[in-house]
Amino acid sequence: MSAWGFYVATLLIYFAVDLLSGIALNLQFGYAGVVNFGYIVFQAVGAYVAAVVTLGPSLGAGSYQQYILGAHLPFPLDLLAATAAGALLSLLVGLFSLRRMRRDYQAAVLLIVSLIALQVVSADVPLFNGSNGLTGVGWPLGQLFGVTATQSPWLYTVWSLVVVAVVFVGVSWLSRSPWGRSLRAMRDNQGAASAMGLNITSLRLQVFVIGGAIAGLSGGLLVEYIGAWSPGAWGYAETFVIFTAIFVGGVGNYRGVVLGVLLVPVIFLEIPRFLPAIGYPGLTASLEWVVIGLAWMLCIFFRPRGILPERRLHVTPPGALEPGALQPEAAPR
Amino acid sequence: MSAAGQGQNLTFATDREGTSAKPENQGQPVLVAKDVVVDYGGVHAVNRVSLSVAAGEVLGIIGPNGAGKSSFLAALGGQVRRASGTISLDGHEVSGLLPHQRARLGLARTFQTTSEFSRMTVFENLVTAAEGDTGSSLKAVVLHPRRTAQREQELVSHAWEVLERFEMTQVANLYGGELSGGQRRLVEIMRCLMRRPKVLLLDEPMVGVAPHLTGKLISDLRGISRDGLAIVVVEHAMEVVRKLCDRVMVMAFGEVIASGTFEEVAQDATVQSAYLS
Ligand SMILES: Nc1ncnc2c1ncn2[C@@H]1O[C@H](COP(=O)(O)OP(=O)(O)OP(=O)(O)O)[C@@H](O)[C@H]1O
Ligand SMILES: [Mg+2]
Repeated sequence: MSAWGFYVATLLIYFAVDLLSGIALNLQFGYAGVVNFGYIVFQAVGAYVAAVVTLGPSLGAGSYQQYILGAHLPFPLDLLAATAAGALLSLLVGLFSLRRMRRDYQAAVLLIVSLIALQVVSADVPLFNGSNGLTGVGWPLGQLFGVTATQSPWLYTVWSLVVVAVVFVGVSWLSRSPWGRSLRAMRDNQGAASAMGLNITSLRLQVFVIGGAIAGLSGGLLVEYIGAWSPGAWGYAETFVIFTAIFVGGVGNYRGVVLGVLLVPVIFLEIPRFLPAIGYPGLTASLEWVVIGLAWMLCIFFRPRGILPERRLHVTPPGALEPGALQPEAAPR
Repeated sequence: MSAAGQGQNLTFATDREGTSAKPENQGQPVLVAKDVVVDYGGVHAVNRVSLSVAAGEVLGIIGPNGAGKSSFLAALGGQVRRASGTISLDGHEVSGLLPHQRARLGLARTFQTTSEFSRMTVFENLVTAAEGDTGSSLKAVVLHPRRTAQREQELVSHAWEVLERFEMTQVANLYGGELSGGQRRLVEIMRCLMRRPKVLLLDEPMVGVAPHLTGKLISDLRGISRDGLAIVVVEHAMEVVRKLCDRVMVMAFGEVIASGTFEEVAQDATVQSAYLS
């Protein structure tokens, strides 16, 4: 495979992973108004769990890497475990951080959770091999066909796009349902929503856990491609990249999320990684954050609701003429 | 407005609408509060206030600014915790329940500061407010799609009925945040009616509503109450109170200082001195 082919495949896979994150954050923030500044932690736990359940039993403290839960799980148990890990951790974190607390405090608590998690995983070496992280992670689905992710990046690309398409369809369907409407009511006015019989605490926890499950899945998908995972891969700042993407693309609109994820993480952040370094070492990397900041500012000034804003539902009164209204079966019974 | 002007209003003869037709279930108390106390950091905003409202009855609460009227409604709705006292709704003791639990038992309310869902259309504002509690739950949506679709259809036609009654079909597609102040009030009231509640708490519902609609709203509310709904309404406009309410309770400094029919409390000397002067 050519270097260019590999490069494009990698970009597409990153796109799929980031789109999963965008979908999860859009459900949580765009629909339900839950500000999950700790998002990356749930992706990270998915990646770690997918890694340790495919790496096989840990060889213990003397070996080059040590970890908990070592196993050789076949596909699809690896990704199911990653998804479940994201959901479970979300449930635990959500149970104490999402209770009757103001939204801005919740955001702060979640940011702190992500800082604590990074410290704990880095320091607690027996857990996931500390700051060195885990390497040599395989691709259980590819193993069924005798291929690895590096040998057939296009196969991996197709697979990740299939995964993200399924999640996209499912979550956007849920968001359009009466349940999704309740989430938006909660986002707009919690007091009124609860006075109308909506259980705010439970709705918040539901989106938190669903988002966490998607995050875990995205982590599993990412680690099985890149083969390694360490605290360097999941700084709290990664969460803000995805937040920027959904802001730029359009909060509350899944097409906007697709656009934002194409624009921000893939075009602005991933492409420069493959470009030759300019200036002093590390300049391109730090410019990324300038780009993120600029994207926020431009967006707030020019398109405060994003490039593709949330779409308005248009209804027509039952008496009005609609396409099909004159057909016999539409006549009143 | 001068005290004399208000006093004059108060002594108008009764011309309350719909007092002749009494429903069968009238007289059964659906909302009973006993000695409710609300504290904000040691200050009694509501001090041992009691009420009992029956199905088919409209109770007005009046009183000067800061009397504790909104705080009392919040205690009834569950938005603030009462420090002591009991509240029973349709036979259930609810004083320990959360707002959504009380709502599911048949309580609906509006707020003094309008609380429309600002990034949802008027139509969506209405269909979100559904009778019954779990029809929009994740479980119902995923496991019972057919039942959910049917429920949606019912909600949609109910929403059009309510919109028509309030002459709001023209704004069905506007976002809550795009409405005028009076329209927002109406959306709140319509949302409550969508839920077919047993008890309706209204906090200054007529503020900003155009005069021709005020009259219509009064007769609508009376009509709905006659069908067996208990209404508690906090209101400053005496004309509205006089036409709308069967009984009036006057609050000042967190306490009830008088109660009775509109005419009775209007004659009361304490009320005159505490509220009207
Ligand atoms: N959240 C709060 N925290 C502290 N004090 C409060 C709070 N809400 C109300 N109060 C106080 O409680 C008292 C009663 O307020 P409340 O809003 O119930 O009055 P009200 O009768 O509804 O007045 P208005 O007619 O102006 O709406 C006031 O003294 C007010 O300052
Ligand atoms: Mg008030």
